[in-house]
Amino acid sequence: MRLLTHNMLSCNIKGVTNGFPLRLEVEKFVEKEVDFSAEFLRNIFPKIEWKALVDASRSMGYSQLPDEADSSMLDSDDFLKKFHHALLELHLEEGVLICPETGRRFPVNKGIPNMLLHEDEVFVFDGVNLVLNYHLNSTW
Amino acid sequence: MNTLFRTTESPFLQYLNQPSTSDRRRRISSLPVRIGLGRSTRTGLAKTTTRMMASSSSAATETVGREVLKKGIADFYDESSGIWEDIWGDHMHHGFYNPDVQASISDHRSAQIRMIEESLSFAGVPEDSLKKPKSIVDVGCGIGGSSRYLARKYGAQCQGITLSPVQAQRAQALAAAQGLADKVSFQVADALQQPFPDGQFDLVWSMESGEHMPDKKKFVSELARVAAPGATIIMVTWCHRDLSPSEDSLKPEEEKLLNKICDAYYLPAWCSAADYVKLLQSLSLQDIKAADWSQYVAPFWPAVIRSALTWKGLTSLLRSGWKTMKGALAMPLMIEGYQKDLIKFAIITCRKPK
Repeated sequence: MRLLTHNMLSCNIKGVTNGFPLRLEVEKFVEKEVDFSAEFLRNIFPKIEWKALVDASRSMGYSQLPDEADSSMLDSDDFLKKFHHALLELHLEEGVLICPETGRRFPVNKGIPNMLLHEDEVFVFDGVNLVLNYHLNSTW
Repeated sequence: MNTLFRTTESPFLQYLNQPSTSDRRRRISSLPVRIGLGRSTRTGLAKTTTRMMASSSSAATETVGREVLKKGIADFYDESSGIWEDIWGDHMHHGFYNPDVQASISDHRSAQIRMIEESLSFAGVPEDSLKKPKSIVDVGCGIGGSSRYLARKYGAQCQGITLSPVQAQRAQALAAAQGLADKVSFQVADALQQPFPDGQFDLVWSMESGEHMPDKKKFVSELARVAAPGATIIMVTWCHRDLSPSEDSLKPEEEKLLNKICDAYYLPAWCSAADYVKLLQSLSLQDIKAADWSQYVAPFWPAVIRSALTWKGLTSLLRSGWKTMKGALAMPLMIEGYQKDLIKFAIITCRKPK
């Protein structure tokens, strides 16, 4: 899982309001070389949650990203190379993604995160919620 | 189970014994008796109360049923994806054919690609470099055929989600082998709980995965939630025929046929294309379009059956496992369903308001 993906994943347990960004627990990571494209980086920059990227790359042992970034830095080749490396070349192979609000652990195996929830994280059934659910969703 | 859509019963919701009547009565003491009757209810208060009495046990049953269904789907695709890919390649969906044309085996791959292109065209997805989609989600991505195709076509980033760990691994491996590892990535996740924040994607793509979703409303809500303002949502899915205004449900023999198919392919209750349109309308989505493409997919199942009956097909099936074999044996049922105008191959598209 590269950090571009991590920047788009959030915890979706029912009731969680602060499910992003997921913290990383790294067991094994690899660095993979990826073709550099300045244009791609400039296009994707506005969509990136910068702090989440910085924190995630630090947990993979890469601390060369500046704490803050703005679009003027996209003119700097040096900045773009670091951005490229953190975003696309650091891959979490084995580890855990952790919900910042609940501490729920989502495993990452062979680079693939498993974001499936357990049944108690999806449904809350007590009488009031059942009725509310029916009223809102027209299903039992 | 679903009063709004009068959907078919599904075998997956009958996995538990129903608790005794006395259990149900004890549970309703915490439930208010009167609730507002929205336009979705067509029954009187008495019937609603009776349903509420059964609700706590049936909700528990439904949740377990769903877990069983999800595991069934994951296991089915874990088992069968390899053999499908071996014989048919990386697109796990119907081909789009000219009507009444006899397609040869080599035509099927291009028909599957045509299905993607026709769907994009139907939905009016822009192609110019400013407006084309830049981030795409492939909901029910299989081994990533659509993800890789769309990422390549638009130069976009694509995320794919599937319940099957085997499929996710294979999808990733194929992406790496095709030099797309920087454009597409895959996660094991549930389409009913997509692991993405709101408004992430310019194109929300669901190619023949909707039929696996046990809660159509939640499925469509999630598609809408992760769509960015102005995004296009495309669903291509198996439906049953629209009900006529005088009908409350499908005929018993129709339900029976669908049940057999549900059992083999790990499908929950079916709904109609009209039901999907109603759902999209209820979510205030715009530009809603729907079409019946059954006539354009007619050569597909006969072709799949023929491929299964080849030496390679038969030996692969025997080696793959019982779930895959059961799926193969159910293929004539799909043909029967299409011939009886019961099963429809539907495309439904819309746009998220800006």
